[in-house]
Amino acid sequence: MKVLLFILSLGIFGLAHATTPQELLKTYEAQSGKASSSKGEQFFNTKHGKEWSCASCHENPPNHDTKHIVTGKVIKPLAPSANPARFTDEAKVDKWFKRNCNDVLGRECTAQEKADVIAWLISVK
Amino acid sequence: MKKQFTFLLATLVTSSAFAAKMPMPSDMPKSYDAECASCHMAYPPGLLSEQSWQNVMGSLGKHFGTDASIDEKDKIEITNWLKKNATTRQKYSELAPGNRITKTSWFIRKHDEIKPDIWKRQGVKSPANCGACHTSAAEGIFSEKNILIPGK
Repeated sequence: MKVLLFILSLGIFGLAHATTPQELLKTYEAQSGKASSSKGEQFFNTKHGKEWSCASCHENPPNHDTKHIVTGKVIKPLAPSANPARFTDEAKVDKWFKRNCNDVLGRECTAQEKADVIAWLISVK
Repeated sequence: MKKQFTFLLATLVTSSAFAAKMPMPSDMPKSYDAECASCHMAYPPGLLSEQSWQNVMGSLGKHFGTDASIDEKDKIEITNWLKKNATTRQKYSELAPGNRITKTSWFIRKHDEIKPDIWKRQGVKSPANCGACHTSAAEGIFSEKNILIPGK
């Protein structure tokens, strides 16, 4: 029972785990290698065999409100400098990487790709 | 003749007034806004039938060309709410082709005067972007008085 409660509480806290862009960067680097923000920028602006790049919706630099390429819905800035709420909720970050990597690359992103992109986004003024 | 005309006019006015209002139910869960309305407007559940919503929510991994998958808990909450508030009106009850509101016969009929180039304008982008022309779409008002078609 105690174990079950422990697992349950882990799950609940895990869902809304507060984090920072820097912490996430470290986590992804630990799973891969040192991040390169220039590679991150390139990755962000390039198409990867499908119709869209990250920049199709978020634009470059992603430091202002942009519009979804299909629906026209306003998307808040992705760069933490312009939108401090970005990359502060781990579950949300996981969800959007999963969805958007699937849309742009047709697969999940690697930890290295995530590290590179976050490193670049942190540097965007 | 005049009487008939007045009656016809009254019918038209009332029916379009009905169609013009599609308010969001007051019990909308936060997850609907967070999960669905981050990419497109929060469509009022009354625009689709129960079965159509079930179909939409059952295929989120392939959602009109994108991966819109969400966690199970949110999915159940949103699905139940959409189905509970799905249309009960005959007009909206058809099974939407491809699960698209914009492919239903009432939608096509209502927009039949809109030329193809208007849908493609930068300010419109897609028939799914209700708010581009229906300036009060976010409040569930689709009245003809509240329409402003972007010039480009």
